[in-house]
Amino acid sequence: MPPSQFGAQLVDNQALSGGYFTLRFACDPACGAPLSGIEPGQFIMVRGEWGREMLNPRAFSVLDAQPDGSFSILIKIYGRGTAALSALRPGGLVTVTGPLGRGFSAPAGATQLLVAGGVGLPPLHLQAKRATEAGRAGGVEMFYGGRDADDLVLTEALEDWGVKVTYATEDGSRGHRGFVTVALQERLRAAKASGEAVEVLACGPTPMLRAVRTMGLAHEVRTLLCLEEEMACGFGVCLGCAVPVRGPKPYKYCCSDGPVFDAREVRWS
Amino acid sequence: MSAPVRTTPISPDAVDLTTTFAGLSLPHPMMTASGCFAYGQQFAHFMDVSQLAGLSTKGISPAPRMGNPLPRICETASGMINSIGLENVGAEAFLAEKLPYLADLDVSVWVNFFGEDADAYVRCAEMLSAGAERGIDVLEMNISCPNIKKGGIEFGTVPEVAHRLTKRCVEATSLPIVVKLTPNAADVPAMAQAVHEAGAVGVSLINTITAMGIDVRTRKPRVATMYGGLSGPAVKPVALRMVHQIHTKHPDIPICGMGGIVSGEDALEFLMAGASCLQVGTANFSEPPAGLRIRDELRALMAELGISNIPEIVGCIGRHDPEPPYAPEESWT
Repeated sequence: MPPSQFGAQLVDNQALSGGYFTLRFACDPACGAPLSGIEPGQFIMVRGEWGREMLNPRAFSVLDAQPDGSFSILIKIYGRGTAALSALRPGGLVTVTGPLGRGFSAPAGATQLLVAGGVGLPPLHLQAKRATEAGRAGGVEMFYGGRDADDLVLTEALEDWGVKVTYATEDGSRGHRGFVTVALQERLRAAKASGEAVEVLACGPTPMLRAVRTMGLAHEVRTLLCLEEEMACGFGVCLGCAVPVRGPKPYKYCCSDGPVFDAREVRWS
Repeated sequence: MSAPVRTTPISPDAVDLTTTFAGLSLPHPMMTASGCFAYGQQFAHFMDVSQLAGLSTKGISPAPRMGNPLPRICETASGMINSIGLENVGAEAFLAEKLPYLADLDVSVWVNFFGEDADAYVRCAEMLSAGAERGIDVLEMNISCPNIKKGGIEFGTVPEVAHRLTKRCVEATSLPIVVKLTPNAADVPAMAQAVHEAGAVGVSLINTITAMGIDVRTRKPRVATMYGGLSGPAVKPVALRMVHQIHTKHPDIPICGMGGIVSGEDALEFLMAGASCLQVGTANFSEPPAGLRIRDELRALMAELGISNIPEIVGCIGRHDPEPPYAPEESWT
């Protein structure tokens, strides 16, 4: 679906543990449901009615989008934009541009190992939901890491869908103690030993993505990384969100070529 | 202090937004600015691009350029700093792949161009001349980008150097040349005069203001090249001052004004300062059809203020009434 710019109104702002919020919006009815066909990993640019001092919209992955035009995002207060959004009350208005970028493809043959770290959850949560809706909940497995148990959110839904989830927390308060990549490493070793076809889809903090990339390359499994870069426009014009890549050109763009990139392509040291 | 000019509101339908810039007739003043509109196609999702008066492309160099390392942008108060590095497809690919789309639009097509040295500027002007019959209306010569090295700064800051470069490019092409000026020059009116005398049909300004942001947590600059170019509403007062200075000193030089325009009132300020057409840049990022909204706001504001046409107000800024003279006296209380 081509992107458009439309107005949306906050329906519900739910504070979760760990400083996270889910914001659910309804699109301006005149606009239909511009996000209902969104692919997990695609994103939107969101701007509130907060004047010009914060000039640019903020990029968010979509957590969920319904055919009725409603959609939701997961936020954690990180700077002034997310602080302003977290304070939005039902009826509050935002301007949205999207859907933008290219997302993950649905599971085909290989089991998809969905690796989520912190606020990188939404694309993988939506991927799991879509797989469940397609009757393929068994085609995905989630690896979800955070600092502590409070840093893991929206887990009930994953469990209701019957998706297998491995949790990891740095303090051991839920699931494995340590980084989620340790659990992923074990899973990749087991797959290699049994000859099982797997692929890795990951979104989270850059250190996690770097580790996932290294593992995916070492195990020679298809590894897709959903990246985040500072962007002003989100649709390929400002050229601010360059991603260093291998190939005929040194850069691609997070917003229009990504945000999902093959780990082999990304030029990281 | 001066009282508002007494005006009688008129109907928005009675407002004539047509304007002329260096012999070009435009249906209204609103264009989009270089580097903030790519090569136009992306905007077709969001607006009827042909409704704009014109557009200026991403800056084109003779050969493709790959751009700067990350990070390239950061937001600042009412603005943003960029250091993209003049990434572009190069003149040849521009003519073959990007120009056909632009030529089909019913807008004035300005191709922004630059070179890494004087010969490259001339070569680029020559190469782009092939587009004269294929949709290019104006070459906008960028002597002002802060993001290239190799002595590029002198083209934009030393009047004699700018004069020589402009003259060579004017002689190299049949297309009219508008020179885009930098605010990072000591005497901007002298720069405008120098390029106009060299044959530029007009000037556009301002480009971005050299700027810096610092991340105190990492102790790193917020763009990888240390300094970048500031744009957005934060630069508007500086831009207005420079437009006004040029218009006051050289009223015969056509000016395309830009710098943080986000509203119809901003647009009217630039016209009153002395610009006869305008470009919208950074606002396109958050609001792709910003130029069209601003056009509509400009019409409504002109109607409210009883201004029926653009030439009536270009460069209309007067001085405040003088105060009565002061002489020391005994206290009167």
